[in-house]
Amino acid sequence: MLQFDRISLAEQTESLRAEVREFLKDNDQHFPLPISDFTTGHDPEFSRKVGDKGWIGMCWPQQYGGSERSFFERYVVTEELVSAGAPVSAHWIADRQSGPLLLRFGTEQQKQTYLPQIARGEAYFSIGMSEPDSGSDLASVRTTAVKEGDQYRINGTKIWTTDAHRNHYIICLVRTEPPSENRHAGLSQIIVDLKNDGAQAKPIKNIAGNEEFNEVVFEDVMVPADRIVGEPGNGWTQVTSELAYERSGPERFLSAYRVFVELVRACGESPAPHEAAAIGRIAAHFMTLRRMSISVAGMLENDKDAVVEAALVKELGNNFEKEVVEVARLAAPMAARSPRFRDTFEQTLLLSPSFTLRGGTREILRGVIARGLGLR
Amino acid sequence: MSEAQSTQQLILDTAGRIFNDHCNKPLLDRAEQGHLAETLWGQIAENGFNLLGTADSGTSAQDMFAFIQLCGNHAVPLPIAETLLVNRWCGPGDGLFSVGEVADGRIVEVPWGRAVQKVVGVQRNSDTVFVVNAPEVVEQGVNMAGEPRDVVSLPDTAEQLTVADAWAQMAVARSNQIAGSLLKLLDLGILYSSERIQFGRAISKFQAIQHSLAIVAAEAAAAKRAADAAVDALDGDRFVFEVAAGKARVGEAAGLVAEQIHQVHGAMGFTHEHQLHHYSRRAWAWRDEYGNEFYWQALLGSHLANLGADQVWSFIATRG
Ligand SMILES: Cc1cc2nc3c(=O)[nH]c(=O)nc-3n(C[C@H](O)[C@H](O)[C@H](O)COP(=O)(O)OP(=O)(O)OC[C@H]3O[C@@H](n4cnc5c(N)ncnc54)[C@H](O)[C@@H]3O)c2cc1C
Repeated sequence: MLQFDRISLAEQTESLRAEVREFLKDNDQHFPLPISDFTTGHDPEFSRKVGDKGWIGMCWPQQYGGSERSFFERYVVTEELVSAGAPVSAHWIADRQSGPLLLRFGTEQQKQTYLPQIARGEAYFSIGMSEPDSGSDLASVRTTAVKEGDQYRINGTKIWTTDAHRNHYIICLVRTEPPSENRHAGLSQIIVDLKNDGAQAKPIKNIAGNEEFNEVVFEDVMVPADRIVGEPGNGWTQVTSELAYERSGPERFLSAYRVFVELVRACGESPAPHEAAAIGRIAAHFMTLRRMSISVAGMLENDKDAVVEAALVKELGNNFEKEVVEVARLAAPMAARSPRFRDTFEQTLLLSPSFTLRGGTREILRGVIARGLGLR
Repeated sequence: MSEAQSTQQLILDTAGRIFNDHCNKPLLDRAEQGHLAETLWGQIAENGFNLLGTADSGTSAQDMFAFIQLCGNHAVPLPIAETLLVNRWCGPGDGLFSVGEVADGRIVEVPWGRAVQKVVGVQRNSDTVFVVNAPEVVEQGVNMAGEPRDVVSLPDTAEQLTVADAWAQMAVARSNQIAGSLLKLLDLGILYSSERIQFGRAISKFQAIQHSLAIVAAEAAAAKRAADAAVDALDGDRFVFEVAAGKARVGEAAGLVAEQIHQVHGAMGFTHEHQLHHYSRRAWAWRDEYGNEFYWQALLGSHLANLGADQVWSFIATRG
């Protein structure tokens, strides 16, 4: 499991990379804040432009609006977008996670309904996993979906749901059977239309003062039975399979990338030795993490189980993103800090507590790794 | 698996078997008392492992460094990385050779200078290297891992060769040796924690221990990936910067891994009798040889500062 294959990206990825950079240059009016956290910047107009380029659902079959490109090509596009601080959050979850989930487990009708809209950059999804009493212990979720004829009646509360107040759909992990001996049984995933089905999303302000995550209340929300993703009762398997996609991408170590850029700017052309060392230290980490993340993309490309490797990348990446902010703070000379440095630095520091929480906490990931090591 | 990959796997499997059988605690202890592991060296030479990566050997530089990584993994107490690099620079030869740094008209920090037939002196800021046959040892010493590090004289008659980035190539060798030793430390931690019982259960069942080992696994995996990347950059125009990133990253992992694994081993790991220190002390020693973290970070950082903030991403986002 410590095998992170050495991968060279194919030569044609360079022209794709150049195309993305050109696109970013042409669309820089979309960049309000120079932050590279993938949850910052919900911009439907920008997402539609990305969709027009064929850069959402890149690896999906053409019949569902995809462009059948490799995971490596997707990797190049996503790392260029995130490192530039592009506003990708509207389509990010749908592209990274919800789409692949539907592609793998969804019914034919679901694939035809949702995937093309996602790929066009028009349909945005939220993740409905966490609840007030179910965080790390995800299998304890209590939201229920009870079958009544050809409908499901949903009751319960989801929380910390990123962008539920502005996205179109949420895929909720719900109990379709009462709890039993096997806590992973009786769970299902179900799609709810956030605009039309009557779920109530209420934004919760975060410490940076932004309204990004939400409480979502379901009170007798009725949805057609065909909104169950895949098989009823298969929810746990499906949820865990999402995690390799969720945990290993470039957004797991680039959240503080713009801070690094501003650090380099502040230190100028001839940095003092301690400043140069700070820059070099951060760069060395980025270079290694990126290679490890590309190795995981290779595993996904070859349909290999990458749950532990993805956890290793996230463990290293999330701790490191937090460190970037600290190293930059210590190294950047006060007098050389531009307003942009301060903005980037302060916004990223305020977001940083979330780095090691969202997508599975550091402690939970270490548990996943320990299991991979055979310790539990 | 490609043909190149299976060749490499065969080398590593064969060498791994030899090291498992022969490179054990008694051998490491004897080496530390100054005895050259002649039998082990004989087996290495018999299999041609000392010629990996040289012309006509049918093997690549990648194979050579993968073997060096394995030697680090087993703490092979021979100047085998040095011998391989000397053969790479000077053409294949049969003996045991070594490499040191030129300082004040001598060659210092020479592993096993007392036992080798040839020493090459490398310099940090120059591609000129000095080849000394039948070296004269003027001072014997050891590093903190108990590995011989001698001083040999550098006669005026020494042959001079031009070898691009010889010093940085040595840093790649150390990076790979460290990566190998960190993987060993992880294995030792997993093993010990599964066997040591406290409070009625194996300590590996305690979450704190599991988390320590998870951190170590992440660092060791990163170290290996970083060391491999430096190897892949060999002969390319970014070589020195990839070495910088590699050695800096690996060196950082070394301190962290050694610290955590000692903690997992309790007092037992603090004894000379336990094998742990053969690996942890090497990791500690090697991270300072041929440029420590600070040296390489500053070198890389100066380069990036010079490129400018808006060029840094292009530098990082390479194909390889
Ligand atoms: C910015 C942000 C966005 C998010 N977006 C979404 C979203 O879109 N959809 C969604 O479903 N969720 C989302 N989450 C929720 C996220 O998945 C949870 O925060 C996470 O799973 C942890 O749950 P919790 O916050 O309830 O913490 P808890 O589970 O209560 O954990 C609190 C602390 O206890 C530790 N802990 C818990 N259990 C153990 C254990 N067994 N061993 C050791 N330590 C343990 C944790 O590691 C943590 O340090 C988001 C969170 C954040 C911060």
